[in-house]
Amino acid sequence: MKFKHLLLGAGALLLAAQASAHNRWILPSHFSLSNDKGEWVMVDITASNETFNVDKPMGADRLKITGPDGKSIFPGSSYRGHRKSVVDIHLEKDGTYQLAMGGEPRYFTSYKRKGEDKEQWLRNANKTNRKSRLPKGAYDVKTVEGSSSVLTYITLNSPSKNFTATNKGLEFMPITHPSDIAQGEAAQFKFLFNGKAQPGVKVEIIREGVRYRNEQEALTLKTDSQGQVDFTLAQAGRYILMAEYEQDVSDYALADTVGGRVFLTFEAVLD
Amino acid sequence: MKKKILLISFLWLTSTAQVTATELQLDLKLPAQAGEYHNPYVAIWIENSKGQSVRTLSLWREGSKWLKDIRRWWRKAGRKDADLVDGITSATRAAGQYQLNFDALDDKGQPLVQGKYTLRIEVVRENGGRSIVKQPFALDGKEQKFTLKATSETAKSIFTIKE
Repeated sequence: MKFKHLLLGAGALLLAAQASAHNRWILPSHFSLSNDKGEWVMVDITASNETFNVDKPMGADRLKITGPDGKSIFPGSSYRGHRKSVVDIHLEKDGTYQLAMGGEPRYFTSYKRKGEDKEQWLRNANKTNRKSRLPKGAYDVKTVEGSSSVLTYITLNSPSKNFTATNKGLEFMPITHPSDIAQGEAAQFKFLFNGKAQPGVKVEIIREGVRYRNEQEALTLKTDSQGQVDFTLAQAGRYILMAEYEQDVSDYALADTVGGRVFLTFEAVLD
Repeated sequence: MKKKILLISFLWLTSTAQVTATELQLDLKLPAQAGEYHNPYVAIWIENSKGQSVRTLSLWREGSKWLKDIRRWWRKAGRKDADLVDGITSATRAAGQYQLNFDALDDKGQPLVQGKYTLRIEVVRENGGRSIVKQPFALDGKEQKFTLKATSETAKSIFTIKE
């Protein structure tokens, strides 16, 4: 896929404006474990805008767990409550496990109608099939192709570096291992878009416990020319990282704008 | 010919022994604590100037499940080398005074080269507190003595470098 870039870093990001734009996360009971006999972890999966208080359950059946050897493993059991989904996972092999949801492209078409200022949205409508679904006289019609990945990493004993890219959409690529982030120590992450290091990705990092403080205290960053962000977290704790990128394209059959979001959960350990 | 090799290896062994003369001595005091008391997990190790662990000196621990709770030591040293952990492990100990002596060697048994290091002592109690003691020092052929200030999990302790 090759796109002609019309505009980079547009002010209002369409992906975030989607009707269902809740933040999402996978929060494990432990990010780092020690045990020579394997270990259990329990994982919460939820869509919520309050870090880290749960709000809505999210299909745990779509959770992909990739072991240190690159093979998929499956949960021992799962439960869907009204506020969160819960998954029980047994880790047997030493190394780093990736827990991921999403990543597939989805299509949203926005439009306006005469006499109405408010933008309307159509789900699952791309440039080729939107016409029949748009009302007469719709204007400012725009289709977004976006993928959202929800990620976390859990390490049993020694960390492993089995990070692979699919080269599709916006992807997270660790430079600092996700299990090696500590308070007061510099860390570095990278973001790829369609397989290439992507400058200008908006990154926001928020510490847990938002309910008990007045400000979000978000760390707001943008990837540099190498697609990287550098940061140092002063406080130990659990964090959510939200990355977002989109660009307008003129020569793509399915959408006018392409982009992606990444939700990553990690901990900064106590020094 | 065989004799010559034997002689060379004999000379090599004796010369190695001479380099390892530096001795590290830690007089560690773990204070008595009020209330529910579990013996603390204790890790004592040395990091180089880049914050990399070069030698784990002591590890007082319970089952492997709890190793991760010795947070910094686990991240810097423990999780990277299971054999090393097995090799140096001993059981937890109660509050008291402990005199610990070590040769200034790295994890592979090689003498620590002259330079800057940090002694770290991490003490973690289940259902209790955690403390981390950090004492920078230099190995430069001189005798040195450091008084380690008390923390919530350690009483005043003494660290000595004996050349």
